[in-house]
Amino acid sequence: MKKRFQKILPALLICTVCVVSVLIGIFYFHFISRQIYQDSSNHLEEIYGQVNRSFGAFVKRNWGLLENWGSRLSRPEASDVSAFSVFLADEQAYWGFSEFYFLSGDRACMTLDGVRGSMELKDSRDILASGSPVMGSETLASGQEVTLFAVPVPKGTYQGFDFDAIAISYSNEDMAKSLNVDAFSGKAKCFVIHEDGTVLLSTQTGGNVFENYYVYLKAASDLDEKKLSRIQSDWKKDVSGLLQCKIGGVSHCILYQPVGYQDLILLSAVPQNVVSSGFLSVQKTTVNVLLVIFFLLSASAITVILLRNRSQARKSRAELQYRERMFDVLSNSVDDIFIMLDAESFRANYISPNIERLLGIPVQDALDNLRVMEKCAISHDVVLPREEFESIPLQGNRRWDYEYRHQVTGEKRWYRMTVYNVSIQDMTKYIIVLSDRTLEQQMNRNLQEALDAAQSANEAKSNFLSNMSHDIRTPMNAIVGFSVLLEKDADQPDKVREYTRKISASSHHLLSLINDVLDMSKIESGKTSLSVECFSLPDLLENLNIILTPQAQTKNQCFTIRMEGNPPQQILGDQLRLNQILINLLSNAIKYTPNGGTISFVIRELPRPAPQYVKLQFEVTDNGIGMSRDFQEQIFSPFSREINSVTNTVQGTGLGMAITKNLVDLMGGIIRLKSQPGKGSTFTVELSFALPETEENNPGEQAEPVLETPNRVMEGLRFLVAEDNGLNAEILTEMLHMEGASCDLAVNGLETVTMFQKSEPGYYDMILMDVQMPVMNGYEATREIRACNHPEAMTIPIVAMTANTFAEDIRNTFDAGMDGHLAKPIDMNAVRDLIGRLIGQKHRSDNSVQKEEKNQ
Amino acid sequence: MKKFFCMVLAAAAVCLTTACGLGESVSDANTLTIMGKETDLNKSYMKSIFRQYEKATGNKLEIISFEDEEFETKAAEKFAHGEVPDVFMHFHNADLNQFDVSDHFYDLSKEEWVSDLTDGALAYCQDQEGHLLGLPFWENSVSGCYYNQTILDSLGLKPATTQAEFDMLCQALSDTGYTPLCWPADGCSWMIQFGLDPIFADNPALLEKLNRNEITYAEIPAVKDMVQWISDAADQGWFGSDFLSCGWSDISPVLGSGKAVMTYIWDTWFYTDFSLDGKYSVEDFALMPVFLNTTGNGTYEGGNLNMMMVNKDSKKLDAALDFLSFCASQENYNTAFDGIATVNCFKGQTTNIQSPMVTDASVSIAANERVSTAASRIIGYSATDAAAAFDSLFRKKTDVAGCIKLLDDYRIAEAKKQGAEGF
Repeated sequence: MKKRFQKILPALLICTVCVVSVLIGIFYFHFISRQIYQDSSNHLEEIYGQVNRSFGAFVKRNWGLLENWGSRLSRPEASDVSAFSVFLADEQAYWGFSEFYFLSGDRACMTLDGVRGSMELKDSRDILASGSPVMGSETLASGQEVTLFAVPVPKGTYQGFDFDAIAISYSNEDMAKSLNVDAFSGKAKCFVIHEDGTVLLSTQTGGNVFENYYVYLKAASDLDEKKLSRIQSDWKKDVSGLLQCKIGGVSHCILYQPVGYQDLILLSAVPQNVVSSGFLSVQKTTVNVLLVIFFLLSASAITVILLRNRSQARKSRAELQYRERMFDVLSNSVDDIFIMLDAESFRANYISPNIERLLGIPVQDALDNLRVMEKCAISHDVVLPREEFESIPLQGNRRWDYEYRHQVTGEKRWYRMTVYNVSIQDMTKYIIVLSDRTLEQQMNRNLQEALDAAQSANEAKSNFLSNMSHDIRTPMNAIVGFSVLLEKDADQPDKVREYTRKISASSHHLLSLINDVLDMSKIESGKTSLSVECFSLPDLLENLNIILTPQAQTKNQCFTIRMEGNPPQQILGDQLRLNQILINLLSNAIKYTPNGGTISFVIRELPRPAPQYVKLQFEVTDNGIGMSRDFQEQIFSPFSREINSVTNTVQGTGLGMAITKNLVDLMGGIIRLKSQPGKGSTFTVELSFALPETEENNPGEQAEPVLETPNRVMEGLRFLVAEDNGLNAEILTEMLHMEGASCDLAVNGLETVTMFQKSEPGYYDMILMDVQMPVMNGYEATREIRACNHPEAMTIPIVAMTANTFAEDIRNTFDAGMDGHLAKPIDMNAVRDLIGRLIGQKHRSDNSVQKEEKNQ
Repeated sequence: MKKFFCMVLAAAAVCLTTACGLGESVSDANTLTIMGKETDLNKSYMKSIFRQYEKATGNKLEIISFEDEEFETKAAEKFAHGEVPDVFMHFHNADLNQFDVSDHFYDLSKEEWVSDLTDGALAYCQDQEGHLLGLPFWENSVSGCYYNQTILDSLGLKPATTQAEFDMLCQALSDTGYTPLCWPADGCSWMIQFGLDPIFADNPALLEKLNRNEITYAEIPAVKDMVQWISDAADQGWFGSDFLSCGWSDISPVLGSGKAVMTYIWDTWFYTDFSLDGKYSVEDFALMPVFLNTTGNGTYEGGNLNMMMVNKDSKKLDAALDFLSFCASQENYNTAFDGIATVNCFKGQTTNIQSPMVTDASVSIAANERVSTAASRIIGYSATDAAAAFDSLFRKKTDVAGCIKLLDDYRIAEAKKQGAEGF
């Protein structure tokens, strides 16, 4: 309110000054007008007083002249006509009268030239007869109106004309000259009238048409009856007067003064503007000067104000331009778009130029119609909701988030639109700020995804722990339970064997569970890497056959391996991981295919992606229980097992397929699944492998025949066992004894090396080497053995028996010079298989050595 | 008396000749042909004089009349074919020029009856060389400023005797709310000639120069004075506010109602066209001179008179001259004009009715009357054209100089049309 008052204060002041000035002007004008009227009246009275006096003097002078001439006529010399004529001619020339007349009582008259006529004299005749001089108007025979001055004289005779009075006449024009008032530029009418208004003579040039001025005044003026009565009264009483009236719409001053002779009145009618012309001129000049001063002052004030405003406006404009420029530069360097919107017209007053860069909308287009922004908005038809804008309180703000598509590049970005409702110079404006929130949105999305993932992971962990708790406790329960029963029924061999078999099965299940968990853990932690080496595809298939065929046989399943096409013999890849993938798939197929089912394993070579690469397809098909579509979608997730009557009877960790999928992904391949519940499943894995430079693949070469491992393969063999753990050493010793083998124990690697070096060649058939041992670990010990000078240093089989079961661990064992790897806890079947194979190899090696020696 | 005696003898001779049985040829020889406008020839006083003549002389008068609208054309055709009547009736105006006045008509200047003509009538019938073209036998009138004396008296005003007084009077009347002068601008074209009359009647040399196309209106200051005055008067409202739409038929109600106080008209108008339905009657009016700023004391215009002209080549020239003498006989014209409202054409006219307005203003008329000069003597002058020029002025389509130029243009164009010498 105060601000608004301050704004209008200058205007109020100016208006006040103007009003006061105008009021002063009006007051002054009225004051001056009154004063002028007064002065004009005085001036008029003064002038016509002078005129009246002059007229009176003129009348008296004429009468005086006539009396003188009358006296002259009564003298004897008057009889000299010619002399009198000459005298009078001189007088006429001097005084300017028109004619001289001799008058007789019978209305006859005669001029000085002897021309006779008649003279009415009207009312004046009686006065003249009474001996008084007269003045009157007379219409001559020619029609000319004249003013006549006459005086009675002693009776006389002139050229035979008897006269008793003499007269001189003036033409009305001459008379008018005697009354004319030059001060009024001839615009004044001056009359000598009788008290009834009859005009005796007038000063008007060219004649007179007023016969009775009172009558005319009554008809032509705006005088009311009262004033007219006053005039009549004044005229009868020989009273002077001055009044104002309008004649023909023009203000006139009517002044009347008694002449002082008979009932004659000198009356003048002067237009008011003529009377006051001199004063009015002063007044006009004064007013004009004041007006000029006022206007000059006003003009100066206005000029100063305008210049100041202009200067301020220029300054403001410059500042505005500077700010706009700065704002443009600023806005160009930021990713925020600024818009000022007029609330009333809903049109943009300002749009930062970066709108073109950020949204692809030309500034002018947006200025013309801000609704073009709505074209950019994704999934929003209205981005400038006017009604909602109007609901924003003054000085308040509101936010909207929209996703926009750049009109040129098509790039999608998120913007937060913050609308501020502000008042600028009493005009409501909306300031809109569009801030790029794309990163924030992405971050939020990532955070949400991370949160979801974390929650999912947490859930998975919970599930895992739950699963693990269940899956670990289940075999552990069997192991613990049957161990108790074993102790109780130790004297009953059948039960002992039964219990031992079940403990062993549970232990194997527990072991595979632990292996899978550890493997999965390692894969998921990203610590798994591929070990690419050249390996034999037939060997791989042989091993698979060896491992899986027995399992299939136990369920009377038909397990077939078929190779289609002509895949290379040698390929570069991670044999262990490929083996793991295929075992997982085939094990599951066997596991989830009922007894008597069919499992087929087909290896196909697909078109080579490049000459040095081979693409192989491994297809495992069974006619087992199959799986539902829902489960197909989560089969590759950890701990996923379909819950049904069949799977409930099948042991599994639920990690196998997750590990398989991860390994396939790691190897850059793909895995596909087709399955129908009750009809079976088909897993297809496609993997690319590099080919070795010197390919020795011989498609025609038959794979090495798979050797049948005899059940007593270890019988009679002597082992050097390196085991720091006494319990493990004892178990192993007992197991070897059970197999008919014997062994010597070393508690660390150094002792193992020492014992081997001291041994006779052939004394030991094999060294079973723990890896993690005090003093010297298994790797070092193996390297020492291989490096020692013992004759069998390079040939004696060394097998790692360790709890380090990862592929890296296995690879390390081979790198250290070992020939095999057996994971703890010891699976005697695996021990038997490996030892059997190694012993076989050793024998062949020994035989070949003997043959070479014989040949030599 | 001598004249009467001669006429009686002539009549007796005619009768005698007829009685002698000259038959048809004799009868034809004493039949005079008189050509004129139908309405003019049907005037009662014309019929009266024709009857008197035929009765008194036994001669026959063959009246050849044409309807008013076609009179000029048909009469001119007759003249062109040599069928010139013995007596031809026509006004002394510009249209008369087409009949080759000097070639066809007898100069009557030496006829006995000339001395009985009033000055105004005589002057009207004379040409520029002083030849008397015809016998004026028509209703005469005086055109002047007819004013409402009653109104002037009621206002304490009196009539003007000078142009200055007339201006005062107009202003004084205007100040009282009256329309000073009824100026029916719509179609009433006669007023202009009243102002031109003094210019050319008082200065015949100037008229000659104008008619020889040696000077134009634009070069005559008095013409400019007149046009300027009329323009100023109109601007000051002296003609009233609606004078542009005021026509002939409006004059009577405007004057009769007292709305306007004065107008420029002729006395007989009050007896033929002035309606007695208004507030004022003819008795309320008086006459003063026309003031159009071309003469200080104003002017009156004498009447436009129909003249009877004699074919100088007529085989019956003497009979035609005798017919005119019969008409100019005091007894005969007094019989013919008995009860007719007209200003005297003959000094011996006594039976006619003369307007008191004219009688009262006789002194002023005698001093200021002029022969109708503009309308009848200025070659190419057309009242209608003059009205058209002033209409442009009144409607502000042109100024004073433009109006004068239009007057000149129209006049010169008409003169050329007539084949006037010098144009």
